[in-house]
Amino acid sequence: MKAKNTILSAALALLVAGTANAADAGPASCCVPSAFPATTNFTDNSLYQTESKWTTDTGKRIRLGELKGKPQVVAMLFANCQYACPLIVNDMKRLEAALTPAQRRNVGFTLVSFDTKRDTSAALAAYRMAHALPAHNWTLLHGEPDDVLELAALLGVQFKEDENGQFAHSNVITILNAQGEIVRQQIGLNQDLKETVRILWQLAAR
Amino acid sequence: MLKISHWTYVTSLLLSVTVACAADQSPTGMTRIPDGVYRPLFLAQDDLKEVPVKAFYLDILPVMNDDFLKFVRANPRWRRSQVKRIFADDSYLRNWTDDLDPGTNAPANAPVTFVSWFAAKACAQWKGKRLPTVAEWEYVASASPTRKDGLNDTGFKRHVLEWYTTPAAARLSPVGTGRADFWGVHDLHGLVWEWMADFNTAMVTGDARGDTGLNRQLFCGAGAQGARDVGDYPAFMRYGFRSSLKANYCIHDLGFRCAKDL
Repeated sequence: MKAKNTILSAALALLVAGTANAADAGPASCCVPSAFPATTNFTDNSLYQTESKWTTDTGKRIRLGELKGKPQVVAMLFANCQYACPLIVNDMKRLEAALTPAQRRNVGFTLVSFDTKRDTSAALAAYRMAHALPAHNWTLLHGEPDDVLELAALLGVQFKEDENGQFAHSNVITILNAQGEIVRQQIGLNQDLKETVRILWQLAAR
Repeated sequence: MLKISHWTYVTSLLLSVTVACAADQSPTGMTRIPDGVYRPLFLAQDDLKEVPVKAFYLDILPVMNDDFLKFVRANPRWRRSQVKRIFADDSYLRNWTDDLDPGTNAPANAPVTFVSWFAAKACAQWKGKRLPTVAEWEYVASASPTRKDGLNDTGFKRHVLEWYTTPAAARLSPVGTGRADFWGVHDLHGLVWEWMADFNTAMVTGDARGDTGLNRQLFCGAGAQGARDVGDYPAFMRYGFRSSLKANYCIHDLGFRCAKDL
């Protein structure tokens, strides 16, 4: 699995490097260890203005702004979720499957955990394995409680932890454009994804 | 092992003594709220019936226009002309005359309103404080002027409800003119609504499979079955209000106050 991903990433890197648009594409969603300048100009409605810092499942510290440059499909969930979260991931995979290979290279998929206690990098790495989420285009993040609240507020997601450590939460998949602006929110599970796919196609074509 | 636990015990004793001594000196404008319990109005099956609230400091008064002016002076990006839309909608500080001039519609000693959750949070952080949680706020707000638990005080409940059903005046009154509650805190009821750190955790059910997770119990008549106290109308209204908010909303009668850890 791992080896396959590495080969895939390498092939992808070659492909991206080979295209004329590589310079316009900006930094890759997950893989470029960039020194992120805090002064980067984001648009007024960009989520990437938030200064919160996150940690990936490989332990890398990033700001959301580092996802800039590609449209992102974003959802909040927690790894221990038995009900809705696997369905959210499933919906995101349906979106991914609806893209052509070329479009897929231009879209990132990002999962952010509510569970600041249990969803460590290791727990998220296990989640990535369990759900077979490719490393080159899926970003898994965990962070501090305050930052989770802020991101939930930005995405309009409500959540609440119960006494068993489960989280009740809104089921929302958000599409961000390359600048980090919300262009579409898919609310609910197992919905008709047609309109969301259409928007993703448009965004991925740019 | 025994030795270690012994020393841990002694250390924690020493620590608690230190904390107890320090507690007598609340930061200026704040009061120390002791350990307590918040009883959520709505209970899904797996919800905690009682949420313990650890002792903390709370502002005695809501944040005033004058306080907020100091904040925007020091933080240009939170000035009305410079704030980013995603952090505050276009009503941000609408009753102010200009970026650095609250003007006559926003008297210095009136609570600042037309501020978003992001702005309130940033201002609290700038002051070295934070926003109170729903649990903290509701715990303190359940006190009447004379009792820790004002929920059994029908006069108090009626008074709060009367305010909720009265439209806010165009120009808000100064802070601190209402009667202090049991804890010495002013204006939790009767002046403005307030932002809380976790306002967006206010009302979801235990059923995460629902379309948005919103608490449907609240919106139909039978919904009150899930409520702890069906007579606590003010709490119903606060839940409804919080759930209707988005973090960048700026509203005429919504302000904030700060809290701080001990």
